[in-house]
Amino acid sequence: MTLNLDPDELASCVQCGLCLPHCPTFRVSGDESMSPRGRIALMRSVEDGAPITEEVKRSFETCVQCRGCETACPSGVKFGHLMEKTREALAKAHEITPSWQRFALGALDHPGLLSAGSKALAVAQRVKIVPKRLGVPRIPLRSPAMESSAGSVAGDVYLFTGCVMDVWQRDVHRDVQYVLERAGFGVIPTTNASCCGALHTHAGLGDRSRKMARHVIETLDGAIPILVDSAGCGAAMKEYGSLLGTDEAKAFGSRVFDVAEWLVANPGTLEAPGVLDLRVAVQDPCHLRHVQRVHLATRDLLRPFVRELVELDDEGLCCGAGGSYSALEPELAGQIRDRKVAAIDRANPDVVASANPGCSMHLQAAGVKSVHPLSLLAQALRG
Amino acid sequence: MKIRRTTHPDALVSILKQALSPDRVRNDAAERSLFSNDASIFKGGASGPVCFPVSTAEVQAITRIALDHGRAIVPRGAGTGLSGGAIPLGEPIVVSTMKMNKILEVDLVHRIAWVEPGVVNLDLTKTLMPLGFHFAPDPSSQQSCTIGGNVANNSGGPHCLAYGVTSQHVVALDVVLPNGELVHLGGLDAEPEGYDLRGAYVGGEGTLGIATRIAVRLTPNPQAVQTLLLAFNSVEDAANTVSAVIASGIVPAAMEVMDQLITQAVENYVNAGYPTDAAAVLLAEVDGLSSGVAINAERIAAIGREHGAVSVRVASNDEERARLWKGRKTAFGAVAQIAPAYYLHDTVVPRSQLAGVLRRVYEIGAEYHLTIVNVFHAGDGNLHPLILFDPRENGVLERVHAAASDIVEVSLSVGGVLSGEHGIGIEKRDHMELMFSFDDLDHQRRLRSAFDPLCRSNPGKVLPSPHSCADIQSLSRIPEGVWG
Repeated sequence: MTLNLDPDELASCVQCGLCLPHCPTFRVSGDESMSPRGRIALMRSVEDGAPITEEVKRSFETCVQCRGCETACPSGVKFGHLMEKTREALAKAHEITPSWQRFALGALDHPGLLSAGSKALAVAQRVKIVPKRLGVPRIPLRSPAMESSAGSVAGDVYLFTGCVMDVWQRDVHRDVQYVLERAGFGVIPTTNASCCGALHTHAGLGDRSRKMARHVIETLDGAIPILVDSAGCGAAMKEYGSLLGTDEAKAFGSRVFDVAEWLVANPGTLEAPGVLDLRVAVQDPCHLRHVQRVHLATRDLLRPFVRELVELDDEGLCCGAGGSYSALEPELAGQIRDRKVAAIDRANPDVVASANPGCSMHLQAAGVKSVHPLSLLAQALRG
Repeated sequence: MKIRRTTHPDALVSILKQALSPDRVRNDAAERSLFSNDASIFKGGASGPVCFPVSTAEVQAITRIALDHGRAIVPRGAGTGLSGGAIPLGEPIVVSTMKMNKILEVDLVHRIAWVEPGVVNLDLTKTLMPLGFHFAPDPSSQQSCTIGGNVANNSGGPHCLAYGVTSQHVVALDVVLPNGELVHLGGLDAEPEGYDLRGAYVGGEGTLGIATRIAVRLTPNPQAVQTLLLAFNSVEDAANTVSAVIASGIVPAAMEVMDQLITQAVENYVNAGYPTDAAAVLLAEVDGLSSGVAINAERIAAIGREHGAVSVRVASNDEERARLWKGRKTAFGAVAQIAPAYYLHDTVVPRSQLAGVLRRVYEIGAEYHLTIVNVFHAGDGNLHPLILFDPRENGVLERVHAAASDIVEVSLSVGGVLSGEHGIGIEKRDHMELMFSFDDLDHQRRLRSAFDPLCRSNPGKVLPSPHSCADIQSLSRIPEGVWG
């Protein structure tokens, strides 16, 4: 079979190996088949006619799609794009992404299904049959809907609420709305835009993710900036242009901002009664650092409001969460997380700030105290 | 000794799995194909089972099994080598050291650290930095390459100009010989007894056995560092500046030159403010005590201006320095922005000949209609001409190899040598006769035989055919297809 990869994109890797230490799966395995260089070599061999064996699939399926290799690559290899195309070809041929995964992902763009599933989960949590190690936050039995701000001084913004996060971590959205309102913005929560489709893209379900992207673009028509507080969703939405290949999608992508990125560029009037007496370690979600590349904004935003900001010494290596990766590859995700937890221990913070709900949940499951940076900021502003 | 040569591959694999563990012996076609390559352009390697040992005892066990079953072994670190040293020929057992990656002991009293071979070079330095030390050899691939690979290739790096190459930084080793025996070479004493077998082993490219524990020297971090970036209107001006700096008596920590094309590619990746309109840039670093560093930096700037430097920039802080170095150290990888493949040479020429040899290198490129870019350790006269090409173009490889041979000949004709730091591997094996006499090579073969009489360890590398092992005549010629 063919993976329909662009030969020039595939040729842009010179096998130098500088990506190796920046790949979380290579770091924990030392195994060439779990490295970006090895995966590209296998893509090439499949394109040259090699069979899709279990080992070849394994190599592709174990990729977290963190894209840490992209910022490490001096040749600018578009690894994320190559891996997405590869997975799409394999999923079309039903080589990967079995039907139960397709069904589960289907819930994300069906709010009714997601809500019903989450209610069941919330009840299950109350009767204590959900293991803590899964890292699922305590889901509220009912949570009032989010409402638009009453008015604005500095202009209106959309707050993209997404799918799982809206049901499981609406508190974070409320904190973000509070901070944005304090900065003078009128916030319109995007309650009917549904899911961004990032997980579907990662799973190789390109047709579905393109459909979802078109839905999001139609729903959030106009010129109002779209702010996102989940790094993974933000990265996916900024890349709608390359996903759909239309001018409209590209224009949409340029309206998307990570909340911290937006607030650093448009600070408005943020004043806190005092700084939080905390030593805060910033954990960069991969899709904020390696895809959106706006991770420094998190620091600039938090710095005035906390006692101390510390860096982790692992150069932004992935934590292993990877959207649904931690559920699909628990063993590898755990080994990858062990390295992250060791880096956090060396930094010895009071709390970890992570701008992606998946990373936060994955770290919390290992006992790390992790919160969204905007929640910390809201706490400082509330005094 | 009885050697069975007909063991069925599956039997060999199951014996290896028993000796290690099932998940650390891989034999599927996909895995073996990946371990048949390294960072060089050589194709046609063929790997047997791939093993991931975690201890010296496991390396010994693999070695004995290999011997018993008539298989050779090829050690492999991160696979960033550029001369094909880790490419398996004839389906040997590949021994990956990547899971032997622990820093075992840091001994500040002896100023050494015991490390396993799979420790990544930069990881070691990062661990040592807070203690006030670092591991001095800093190959451009240092973020990926391993100490074991550095030992095998006697690796250099920009800062080896002042600090010396890997051999100067390895004091002792535990080595599993190709017969499975464990020997201890060198020692922590300043003058270990007997022959310096440690010195003989370093740079052996895996043909003398596998080092499983390595004692490396710790180098104190300098008190002060200054990094200068000089821009020139010609590569010759940059080369002449380098010679003049050394002649003035300064010992810079590093002196690196990049030409215009490679500077543009690098700048596109790092955004460090490299001048992309200059024909060449010289990155010079001085370190030591602060007062001396400032004086030497000024002297280098002055010498540069005398030799035509059109601009001199001094990095104002650590971040700027780091960014400039990141550019230099990712240069090879950045060439894919210009062409999808490169063939890199590693000759060393006397510094006084740098300007002339470089001129010839560009002429050779023009003669063969190939783009050649240069990025090199100017302070040592260690050239790295990169011949750029697109492997999809018909017949391009013949031109690439002809140009490469011409570059080697030009370098040797002015009194240079074949390899500065990347090793001989497959790449320069058959150029060895240009450099050494029959007797020279015969003595090298005897040294090799003393460690590996049956020629089981990385056969087909380093020594050219009449001098390589008698019992593997099948490998005495480079197999068909290796050159792409």
